Amino acid sequence: MSDLLRGVAEHHLTLPLRPGDTTEVVAGDLVHLSGEVVMSIGLPTFKRLHRELHEGIAPPLDLRGAALMHISSSGQRNPDGSYELHYVNSTTTTRFDDLMPDLIRGHELSVVGGKGGLGEESVRAMRETGAIYLSVPGGSATLLSGAVREVVEVHWTEYIWQFQLIKTRFEGLGPLTVGIDAHGTSLYRDLRAEAERRLPTIRDTMTRRRDAPGP
Amino acid sequence: MAITYALLKDVTSQMYARSLRQVPSEATAALRAARSREEVPVARRTLDLMLDSAEQARERDHLLCSDSGIPTYSFKIGTRAVLPGDVKAAVRDGFLELAATSDPPLLKHVTNPLTNERGFAGKDMPIMSFDLIDGADHVEIVCSPKALGTGRWSQAEILVSPSLQDIEEWVLDAVVRAGSQACPPMVVGVGIGGTFEHAAHIAKEAVLRPMREESPEPTVRAMEERLREAINATGFGPMGTGGATTAMAVHVNYSSGHGYTPAVVCFNCWIDRRYSARIDNDGTVTHGV
Repeated sequence: MSDLLRGVAEHHLTLPLRPGDTTEVVAGDLVHLSGEVVMSIGLPTFKRLHRELHEGIAPPLDLRGAALMHISSSGQRNPDGSYELHYVNSTTTTRFDDLMPDLIRGHELSVVGGKGGLGEESVRAMRETGAIYLSVPGGSATLLSGAVREVVEVHWTEYIWQFQLIKTRFEGLGPLTVGIDAHGTSLYRDLRAEAERRLPTIRDTMTRRRDAPGP
Repeated sequence: MAITYALLKDVTSQMYARSLRQVPSEATAALRAARSREEVPVARRTLDLMLDSAEQARERDHLLCSDSGIPTYSFKIGTRAVLPGDVKAAVRDGFLELAATSDPPLLKHVTNPLTNERGFAGKDMPIMSFDLIDGADHVEIVCSPKALGTGRWSQAEILVSPSLQDIEEWVLDAVVRAGSQACPPMVVGVGIGGTFEHAAHIAKEAVLRPMREESPEPTVRAMEERLREAINATGFGPMGTGGATTAMAVHVNYSSGHGYTPAVVCFNCWIDRRYSARIDNDGTVTHGV
């Protein structure tokens, strides 16, 4: 169970992570992330990654131990072949939840994330590979985009830009909240369980106030 | 002068652009108030980051979110307003022009639900609703971009002869279902009564109601306050990683109806994207009304 009232520890993590880098990172901590992150928000993209993993087809870029995050972006390929990113921001990860456990295990991912969390099978997979889930604040495109350094590789360009697999180098992306740590603690699971536990009392309080005589 | 095609095209396009770049001042005030009450350290940091993001987007004239959503426009047209040109075409053309020229560019989010093709043009896009104001000689417009982040958590139910308790508990359950996922702290809009489509319409009006405008009815105000406190007691908090504020505001609208009571809940996320304007018959445009 996470203790949200404790002080916030901050970590500066550099990708690729080495074994043990996530040991001290606890759900509720903050992370500033540097290094190369593979980004996409395409459901077709993740379904294809999942299918090809099972078919034994190597992904178009090396995902072993990678940070694979549900981060959207706007960008373009310049006439000289270089790439330009205009902005980045997160998307809701729960809609990828059924695909992520296999992808986390299959590629031994070290970092996943976006916003809104992942379910318990993903949490178990993350525990096995030592991965952490980073919550990237929605609505913070201006702030987060300052951490973009360069686009390293772009694949599956037949998709619309934000669905493509875009490997981007960041410097100090964050602060990102550790939503799920590598020890199996998930803020999302704990907060939902706590909300469910509180609901009877919350409903009783509403009823008492509703039935109280008016002013 | 009148409320011409060219004026409508220009104003509605600007409204969409502005709504993507600035958090309403009432929402930033609500976030600051939430920050001052918050005891969870990580929630305080998240609220700080949100306020910083809002300020930087405004200063740098940049987009708040990568997802510019689909544009929706709610019109209230005075019965004495003079509209000599095409209204729907003006809004559509203004949006397409903005999509072609926006800096930074907008992502293609307009999706054909049957083929999943994405672009900017699409059937019935932008989404528009029209209402009348008897006797007025102006037009009121609210622009509200809508994306998956909150849009997918909207809910509708047909309740049968519900008590107030039934309705409130249904709303609370709908919010709990969204939980950590709809970029809280949110504005929660609730529409109760009328018919199915009308309940959705008034829920949307509720979510877009400025926070400074109180409901004139004490019963509704008390209900809004009860629901806000109940939602905040769940503890999902800013960005759903824990804290005391999950809802910045709860706005309730109702209409009389029959024994079956449609109930709809919808959300705006913490950036509370909405931008309003009024155009008078003489062409005067008042922003942010």
